Amino acid sequence: MLILCQHRVLLLHVYKEIFHISPDNCMSRYRKIINKLFTSFLVVSLLSINIHAFAQDGEALFKANCANCHKPDVDYTGPALKGAQSREPDAEWIYKWVASPSAMIGNGDKHAKDLFAKFGPTMMNGFPNLKKAEIDAIMKYVEDYVPVKKDDTGTAGGAAPESDNSLLFGILTLVLALVGFILLQVNSNLRKLSDEKEGVQRGEPVPFYRNKTYLMVGVLVLFALGGYATINAAIGLGRMKNYQPVQPIYYSHKVHAGTNQISCLYCHGGAQDSKQASIPSVNVCMNCHMAIKEYKGDPIVREDGTQVNGTAEIQKLYSYAGWNPATKTYNPDNNHDGIPDGAHPIEWIKIHNLPDHVYFNHSQHIKVGQQQCQTCHGNIQEMGEVYQFAELSMGWCINCHRETKVNFYNEADSTGNKFYSIYEKFHKDIRNHKMDSVTVEHIGGTECQKCHY
Amino acid sequence: MKRITYITAILVAGVAISVASCDSKREPGKVYMPDMAYSRAYESYAAHDSALFTMDPNDKGAKIFYNSMPAAGTIKRGELFPFPLAKDTNNYKIAGTVKNPFDSLSKADLTEAGRLFNINCAICHGEKATGNGPLGTSGKIGAIANLTLDQYVNMPDGQMFYSITYGKNDMGSYASQLTRAQRWSIIKYVRTLQPKKEAAAATPATGTASPAKTDSATAKKG
Repeated sequence: MLILCQHRVLLLHVYKEIFHISPDNCMSRYRKIINKLFTSFLVVSLLSINIHAFAQDGEALFKANCANCHKPDVDYTGPALKGAQSREPDAEWIYKWVASPSAMIGNGDKHAKDLFAKFGPTMMNGFPNLKKAEIDAIMKYVEDYVPVKKDDTGTAGGAAPESDNSLLFGILTLVLALVGFILLQVNSNLRKLSDEKEGVQRGEPVPFYRNKTYLMVGVLVLFALGGYATINAAIGLGRMKNYQPVQPIYYSHKVHAGTNQISCLYCHGGAQDSKQASIPSVNVCMNCHMAIKEYKGDPIVREDGTQVNGTAEIQKLYSYAGWNPATKTYNPDNNHDGIPDGAHPIEWIKIHNLPDHVYFNHSQHIKVGQQQCQTCHGNIQEMGEVYQFAELSMGWCINCHRETKVNFYNEADSTGNKFYSIYEKFHKDIRNHKMDSVTVEHIGGTECQKCHY
Repeated sequence: MKRITYITAILVAGVAISVASCDSKREPGKVYMPDMAYSRAYESYAAHDSALFTMDPNDKGAKIFYNSMPAAGTIKRGELFPFPLAKDTNNYKIAGTVKNPFDSLSKADLTEAGRLFNINCAICHGEKATGNGPLGTSGKIGAIANLTLDQYVNMPDGQMFYSITYGKNDMGSYASQLTRAQRWSIIKYVRTLQPKKEAAAATPATGTASPAKTDSATAKKG
């Protein structure tokens, strides 16, 4: 944003310099008009880009930082953020709170204490890296947020206004660019006329497609766009964000973890004990589906609008399990391989793939780090079909390691993870108020060999 | 000049195609160095080459038999010894004679057992064990046991363990989700949710089936 603004100022200066070289010129009147037109075009087009970027910023920042615990319009893990500004004691309060909620409560701020009493015991993470302008952008997005209305087909039309806006701005920019181009042509024609009047001889003007300036600008723009696209594609290679394979059974996390409130760890219990989060074996499905034979809930709709027959999907599960729902028994095991005849494993397709040269351990993050599944997997309880929510890139990992505080052992009240009592230097620094919290990075969470060995 | 135009056109088309082809969310996409990205070792859940491996014990010899199951009779480190009773109709009746290896749980262990109860059991039995978990109140699963009733207050630990391990009625086996120690400690936790047992009904019939008891005793010694 800052860069854009600086560019705008710089460009204006450049154009002023160019057009004010010869104020005594007899064409200066026309020049001034054209100059003004051009400047206003430039300002309008750049401002329009700025406004759009601001609007997007708020939403992107909200989704990246807040959406795990906050919803704009309803209370969630944390309070609804809409109207938060009007509830606060003063305008500066929110900046202090976002930077460090625990410090606010420690300082005995009444509003902060009330919030914690209402939404505790989970303490909100501090976001000291968010700038005031960014917090303002988030609050603006939240205040302007309009909930998406559900229609009968189940397809949400919430994205429409946003895309409409960008289209409008795009067209506006194009039209203004065209106007600018025509004005430049008019300018050169006028100059030609005046030259003829004054009898100054000039060579035949070069058409714009042979004009070296135009060509150069064109080449530069193409180079920049091509470079941007190429680098983006190269970065994207090996990353699978949004990967959403078609699974053998349409298993809806929205129905299981959302509507039915089944804990993630019921099926993925390995996440707390081992490296793998573990895909449940069919018998875990059968724990409930021995009793639940058909789907009677709200219609499940795929993204392309087709409806999922939940009961048929449960029937698929029965065929995988070798279960006969009519007699409520497993098929007999006539070939003595220890499993009912006809039963075979469901070949789920793995979505979250890390390269072999990275070590990742679920239990380390879930059990010790006390992370929520949603931190990395997104709002899984709202996904019909699971997709890869996070980038799973190294920068993404490192960023979280830098920002996440460990449950550091507190000597004063002996709370926290006692393992961390061995970090004597940090304890000393905390006592001397040189640092107030310990992040994963401090205890070696960004060392190469922590994940690559 | 013309050649340059052609080359540029081809390059632009190439970039456009590669960018567009990356967009399909149904495909896993490509990686830079496959030999660094894909494991040479057999990772969990990796598909085994069916030309080399078999899960069918009848094909043993011709192919390598591998079904990811631990060898029979092995016990995981830190795990309790197996429950001495196999699943059959008669054993349910004598299961009450098997003693809970835990007399009492520390506060931390009880909290942990409560956490496991809330994850695995409360979905049907409810957080207070009164049988009103989310799946019960929404009418998806019927006939959920209210564990605070007298019959469950008086039910011996061993019989509860039998039901958790092998399943009962519509309830499946939780042996694959909870270790034996976890199952025993969850039973201790359920006791804290139940009303106090009446003194008269406190003694389960211990005299009826001593073999089970000796089984577990010898297992512990061994």
